[in-house]
Amino acid sequence: MLSLRDKAWSPYAAGILIGLLQIPAFLLINTALGASSSYVTVAGNLAALVDPGAAKIDYIAKHLAGAKNWWQVALVIGVALGALLSSRLSGASRPPMSTVWSRGLGITSMAQRAPLAFVAGFIMLFGARIADGCTSGHGLSGIAQLAIGSFIAVAAMFAGGIATALLLRRV
Amino acid sequence: MSVLSAIFVGLAMGLVFGLALEKSRVFEPGVIVGQMQLRNFIMLKVFLSAVATGLVVLAALNGFGFIKLAPKATLYTADIAGGLILGVGITLAGGCPGTVLAQIGAGYRDAWATLLGGLCGALTFGYLEPVLRPWIDGGPGKLTLDHLVGLPFWQVAVMFAALIIMLLVLLERWRPWQTELGRHVDGDTGSAATGGSGRRHIVSQH
Repeated sequence: MLSLRDKAWSPYAAGILIGLLQIPAFLLINTALGASSSYVTVAGNLAALVDPGAAKIDYIAKHLAGAKNWWQVALVIGVALGALLSSRLSGASRPPMSTVWSRGLGITSMAQRAPLAFVAGFIMLFGARIADGCTSGHGLSGIAQLAIGSFIAVAAMFAGGIATALLLRRV
Repeated sequence: MSVLSAIFVGLAMGLVFGLALEKSRVFEPGVIVGQMQLRNFIMLKVFLSAVATGLVVLAALNGFGFIKLAPKATLYTADIAGGLILGVGITLAGGCPGTVLAQIGAGYRDAWATLLGGLCGALTFGYLEPVLRPWIDGGPGKLTLDHLVGLPFWQVAVMFAALIIMLLVLLERWRPWQTELGRHVDGDTGSAATGGSGRRHIVSQH
């Protein structure tokens, strides 16, 4: 059946595994799966090192410390380690960047791709923080809790994503 | 729970999360952009499977009284505007705030730039939050589907999960997942009209 040495698993098996992670999230940490607020925790703590004013902003201050905030930072670091482990076990090594960027945008060098990736990351987290959640917090967890705001946010994410993807070449 | 134990739990859960993201290939920019161009449905399959599982799990945990739910408040402007902006970023990044870390782990080097941009975007929002807050706020507060229809959470959750599963069965009949992986398991199935490079092949795995 499923082996750690497989390059790909059924998306349904992987999805079920991800959904089951809500059990330890709710029972042990008393929260739901999420990813984007960890960016505020990491960036806020780094900013506080050079700017004492950062910690005086309530929004940043409430993300700086505590078990739930550091749990989510550890979660996303674990995601990187888990993906590293998984790809090493299967031998699914990746090129420096996906071929989708040359197919969709004609980007062939890292010098072109890196600035776009930076801007994409900036837009992504700025939007996620306005919406108070991302594909994990609103998508996986919000919809699993039947939150109306999460249905709206996910519909908007797909609307924004689809509209942007239509500007790219067919991939 | 102490911060140290929470970090330990987070790392352990993250390992499983990252493994599932990598094995499903949903972290692949080719899969994400393909989904947004409605050519590849692996993202929707992983996403809906995870949501259906979450619905059943939370129906049980909440129905038997083990946990309280904590849905986010509904803020119309924030959910719509934030979601739209986030969606633009998802397509250009070829990933989400969580899957960018999986891209890094799997070896995509441009994902480091996405991560750095994300940290700057989150911090910029943090500094602007006091100015943006009045514009962001405004909505009915905590609003959930089960309250709207006036049924217990677990009942609506189980019914909604069943609906999702039916949708997934239809989706799989229409697009078997093995045909969406591509030869290099990166979502490039060579379905584009243009092409002709040696890499493009439609491959079905057995």
